[in-house]
Amino acid sequence: MPNGASSSWPAVWAILRKECRSEWRTRYGLNAALLFAVTSLTAVTFAAGPLPDRTDLLSALLWITLLFAALSSMSHAFVRETESRTLLMLRLVASPTQIALGKLLFNLLFLGVVLAVTVPLFLLLTAAPPVRWGPFALVLGLGSVALAASSTLVGAVIAQSRSRGALFAGVSLPLLLPVLAAGVSGTRAQWDGLPVGADARLLGAYAVALFGASLLLYDHLWED
Amino acid sequence: MIWRWGIFLWIAATMTASLLWAPLVPVLGETTRVLYFHIPAAWVTVLALGWSMIHSALYLWKRDLHHDDHAAAAAELGLVFCIAATVSGSLWAKSMWGSYWNWDPRETSIFFILLLYGAYLALRGSIEGDERRARLSAVYSIAAFVAVPPLIFVVPRIYATLHPDPIINASGKVDMNPAIRTGFLCMLVGFTFLYAWLQVLRVRVSRLERRLAI
Repeated sequence: MPNGASSSWPAVWAILRKECRSEWRTRYGLNAALLFAVTSLTAVTFAAGPLPDRTDLLSALLWITLLFAALSSMSHAFVRETESRTLLMLRLVASPTQIALGKLLFNLLFLGVVLAVTVPLFLLLTAAPPVRWGPFALVLGLGSVALAASSTLVGAVIAQSRSRGALFAGVSLPLLLPVLAAGVSGTRAQWDGLPVGADARLLGAYAVALFGASLLLYDHLWED
Repeated sequence: MIWRWGIFLWIAATMTASLLWAPLVPVLGETTRVLYFHIPAAWVTVLALGWSMIHSALYLWKRDLHHDDHAAAAAELGLVFCIAATVSGSLWAKSMWGSYWNWDPRETSIFFILLLYGAYLALRGSIEGDERRARLSAVYSIAAFVAVPPLIFVVPRIYATLHPDPIINASGKVDMNPAIRTGFLCMLVGFTFLYAWLQVLRVRVSRLERRLAI
């Protein structure tokens, strides 16, 4: 497959389809993330009970659950290639940037599914106050883009290290703490009826910066 | 050798003069003294992080392991200075705010940077092969540096903080008593040279280690 600009998107699309098909066959990553989200939600709501008035706690618990559900399985896209020794084959048909962009889109889709299951369940189990859907979706969406951009880049790096699983959360988390801070603050603000502009701008700028840096760095991920 | 003694004498003389000659800030009282140590350590932390990022980018461009030595040395030293800034800030917080840790945005920022340095060094330790370690660490270092401007400049300005104004405040002026400012700037210079000297030493050790490994 040539690597010219005109053939970039078909290659990215092909990687995305291949990722979706591989995930659908085993559903290993998705099952792990959903199981983690549901068990942690159960543990949290069982321990804390309904929290209709504590928007500070609700927003923190929601983002912690989402963050760790994502971290529990988002390195899988690259680790799977390393463990099954298919990365070399993949590199024969697409450039590093095309591979990484395909996996980034897959991670975004993956996060979308995790959010679609986790968020309604969270709102139901914690008896959370009604959300303002516009600002809530904006904060969740921008946070997801930053989360996917960071996890894709770190996942590709970690897949080439010795202790893949153990290191992924530890190495990803420092990059994601600004997302966590702005996500928690924005989610709380939408519940409290306050503007979410500052948090959304921070999340958006951070997502764009991470994505921009990733585009410059993808070509250096594999060379040996 | 002369550098070592020069830096030692400079820092010792500045510290003595600052503690004996410079006045105390009315509200801060005796805790003013932490300023001569805490802010220079925080400055070197960011300087080292920037140095590490610049050499990471240079490594990806030139593929010379000398740049990787610089990037790794800067991260190691940055971690040491970051711990110094965090601990001194925490001691100051205990006497001014009543507890060692308050998750104030500036405390949070420096703690995030501590985690970034720790993650970078943990990652380096888990990758085999000089070239691969250098390349992947450089990628992480540059990505990690993206998190630094939001942490240091944006987060403390968006969220309420109890921390005193940064040295150069929003109006772009340095609000400091002239004697305190002199002592503080001299300490800043001393810490910068201390870092530069340690950096040169650490890079030299890395080169020797690699030569011995061959």
